[in-house]
Amino acid sequence: MDLVGLAFYFLAALIVISAAIVVFSKNIMYSAFSLMFTFFGVAGLYVLLNADFLAVTQIMVYIGGILVLIIFGVMLTTRITGVDVKSNSLGKIQVGIAGLLSTIIAISLIVVFSSTKWFLSEPKVSGDSTKLIGNELLTNYLLAFEAASVLLLIAIIGAAFIARRK
Amino acid sequence: MLGLDQFIAELNKSISMFLPETALVIAFLVALLLDLMFKKSKNLTGYTALIGFLVTGYFLFKQMNMQSTAFSNMFVIDQFGIFMKWVILLSSIGVVLISFFTNELYEKAKGVGEYFTLIIGMAFGMFLLVGSSNLIIIYLAIETMSLSSYVLAGYTKEVKRASEASLKYVIFGAVSSGIMIYGISILFGLTGSLNLFEINRFLAANPVNNFALFLSVIMILSGFGYKISAVPFHFWTPDVYEGAPVPITAYLSVASKAAGFAILLRFFKVTFLDSVPGNDSVWTLLGSIDWHFVIAILAVLSMTLGNLVALWQTNVKRILAYSSIAHAGYMLMAVSTMDDAGVASVLIYFFMYMVMNLGAFYVVALIANNIGSEEIDDYNGLGYRAPILGICMTLFLISLTGLPPTAGFIGKLYVFSAVVKAGYIWLAVVGVINSVISLFYYVKIFRNMYLNDVDSNKSKLTYSPASIVLLFVFAIPTLYLGIFFNDIVKWASYSANIFMGK
Amino acid sequence: MSEFLWVIIESTIKAVIILTLIMLVYGALGVYLERKISAWIQNRIGPNRVGPFGLLQPFADVLKLFLKEDLVPTAANPTFHRLAPIITLGVAVAVYAVIPFGDYVTIAGRNIQLGLAPNANIAILFVLAMTSVGVYGITLGGWSSNNKYSLLGALRSTAQMISYELSMGLALVGVLMVAGTLSINQIVIQQSNYHWNIIYQPLGFILFLVAAFAETNRAPFDLPEAEPELVGGYNTEYSGMKFGMFFLAEYANMGTSSAIMVLLYFGGWQTLVPGGWFGFEPGSIGLALLQFVSFFIKIEIMVLFFIWVRWSVPRFRYDQLMNLGWKVLLPLAIANVAGTGIVSLLLK
Repeated sequence: MDLVGLAFYFLAALIVISAAIVVFSKNIMYSAFSLMFTFFGVAGLYVLLNADFLAVTQIMVYIGGILVLIIFGVMLTTRITGVDVKSNSLGKIQVGIAGLLSTIIAISLIVVFSSTKWFLSEPKVSGDSTKLIGNELLTNYLLAFEAASVLLLIAIIGAAFIARRK
Repeated sequence: MLGLDQFIAELNKSISMFLPETALVIAFLVALLLDLMFKKSKNLTGYTALIGFLVTGYFLFKQMNMQSTAFSNMFVIDQFGIFMKWVILLSSIGVVLISFFTNELYEKAKGVGEYFTLIIGMAFGMFLLVGSSNLIIIYLAIETMSLSSYVLAGYTKEVKRASEASLKYVIFGAVSSGIMIYGISILFGLTGSLNLFEINRFLAANPVNNFALFLSVIMILSGFGYKISAVPFHFWTPDVYEGAPVPITAYLSVASKAAGFAILLRFFKVTFLDSVPGNDSVWTLLGSIDWHFVIAILAVLSMTLGNLVALWQTNVKRILAYSSIAHAGYMLMAVSTMDDAGVASVLIYFFMYMVMNLGAFYVVALIANNIGSEEIDDYNGLGYRAPILGICMTLFLISLTGLPPTAGFIGKLYVFSAVVKAGYIWLAVVGVINSVISLFYYVKIFRNMYLNDVDSNKSKLTYSPASIVLLFVFAIPTLYLGIFFNDIVKWASYSANIFMGK
Repeated sequence: MSEFLWVIIESTIKAVIILTLIMLVYGALGVYLERKISAWIQNRIGPNRVGPFGLLQPFADVLKLFLKEDLVPTAANPTFHRLAPIITLGVAVAVYAVIPFGDYVTIAGRNIQLGLAPNANIAILFVLAMTSVGVYGITLGGWSSNNKYSLLGALRSTAQMISYELSMGLALVGVLMVAGTLSINQIVIQQSNYHWNIIYQPLGFILFLVAAFAETNRAPFDLPEAEPELVGGYNTEYSGMKFGMFFLAEYANMGTSSAIMVLLYFGGWQTLVPGGWFGFEPGSIGLALLQFVSFFIKIEIMVLFFIWVRWSVPRFRYDQLMNLGWKVLLPLAIANVAGTGIVSLLLK
């Protein structure tokens, strides 16, 4: 096994294990923090794919932005108001049904992923993915770029409206 | 990549075709700024929205016969899209007008500035969705309309059930759009493209794993199904419809659904149409998966569940919510035929559904203004306490059931004839049985209004003359279109052709 | 494989040198300067017992921290309590992976870059990403201590850092628009002949400077550890070398911010006097040393500025801090981006 393969399996293990902790941990703070390792692992996978810009953006947006806010919320709810946020409020039947459904979905996904002939593009060696991404965003994907800006504006307005005091 | 000059020329062309949407974005921004500057004025953003919609209508009118793609094949302008955009635009105008007469909004929410702003934003999302031919744009458009509707559904945030509705809507929406984007990623992995035209070309040229394709499309369908509230993606519908302010419920049940159906039809036709046989009006689908059957199953489930559960409801908004699930089922029936007659019948149905459903919800809003309730028991004797409302409500209910001589009858007629013509007799039979069931709960409202509590000496309901004028704006077309429907039918048949790229 | 081995050896040597430098220059010299200058500003004498002019005082401090008992409060979460200072210091040090300390030297026919990965394509984004991860150390430290002062300090710090990160990033965009690259080394190379970016981006620099103060939790933005209100903020419950790591990280961060500002706005390792004066060839060890020294002189000037501000400007109130971040810096940063765009379009 070469170095890249080794790195891949390490990252994959990191992602899967920390994602499992996110789901199964009883303490929501542990969940939130192991989500950080999941995101790091994904960023590592991007690096392996030569997508350096995407990797750093992943860290900045998910770890530096979204997850910080999640942890912020968790910290404020667990310690300051004295309410313990726990994720064990489900009954046995619900867990059973959910587990069964998830297993079925997981099996069908595994079957799909292992049996499918995926579309493979020719590998392109490119040094500077940032420039390519920038050019594509402002030419071919211009509409998506602009639509995303409207989407974010709406999200901000909505969030401000909900958060505003009466 | 194109050369820069060529790209700029292309861009100018694209922008000139994007004018209706641009008008919406500008109206959105203007409304936002005006709301910040003039905090005191009550309906300023509402009027801005109306003006914006009118300007959009003007640009849309100028596009009437256009057929083209814009922004590197990401966006499509065709007659089909324009018809749907008219439905969305007219219902947006209707919803803004209804909002003016909804006391709930002015009493329970603090200011309506953001309310109209978000309605414009939502209209933009729907316009984008109707015309999108790229999975990224589809996703972005769905998110744009969803995010606005989450906030709008809980706009009266002091009301507990509105906040609950909003929260439920967000959670279901997040899950379904998560599943959808997973499906998109699988489809991308199979075909190497996000563009529907290119996916179509790839599928035509290369065989792909059927199971993977099926799974990915089902996952994407969960996103669309959520928007059109088809069973089994409907769980949010009753709670959100009940909790949201009445105009928003009306908006979700008409415009949002129209956008969902538009993208559903476009997605299936553009992605799976085998363009080799040459005759586009009866679609020959690529691959060996029987999509007719998949959609037909969804249709049967939606109709049956919607109608049966509606029987037990005691809240008029919930009844109308389940009825809207059932209506999605009728329209899915027409979608499952997968031919141009089916598309035309969906378009006709939508036009009719828009008028009668907005009308029905408007009556609910007017009654709620007076008696502060939407419970069916509180409707007792309303036929005598408010004769005009009673008559109009009866008309809308007859139309929703699909009885002549109303608009709803014409819609159902074309849907059923398209289904029968395509050879799905069993499906049409299920549809007819369901219509009969639906009669029962529509009549229940009627019965309460006219046969219960007849000699009540409660005071008459009061309403302003302007609100009655608006009521007639919905009531007259419901009757008129039931008799003179030729123009709509012609327009819809002309619009049934979904653009397939070059 | 020998090439690969060589890369590993080279990187290891560089990493060791860089780490030592950080410890000595930021840890030791930084603390010494802070104490001396604060004393001078407050009309005191400052450390003068250990070594000549008290120069060895920082080492005595570190020795003390090492020998102190390491206390973990009973109610604390021990895992996170231990993890927090490691994250903080680790992230602070990780940034140095992409910082160039000079151009290159040619040894035995090999061009050796002065820095671990100075030519990384996305170096600036990497720096920003690491800064944003730095929040976790503080947040975790405050939360895991199970102490309300710590938690409040951590909350303040998190809110402050994510608020100012926006203006910081947007201020950087101006430089990036001028430079047209995300590689720090390229940006430095473009600033040769004293065409420093500060000339083109004065507003951007001021914005970045203010945001950097907030990002490093230094006065006048040191609310997370405001002693009169919060005892010690997020590090109240820390002692011994764990406290030392937080302490060191603060100085390392200050050094990092100074280094980034020097690299982006003041020509980085571009020499203060032309290398030609001494007859240095490109690639020679002499020129490399000159670049290295110039770089450090510039950084130390910035560090002195940090210290000067800390001991002369009073602390902000929390609402003032947030108002400044969101209502002043952010709009100005956006205006700066727009202005830079318009000007570069007109000059084209």
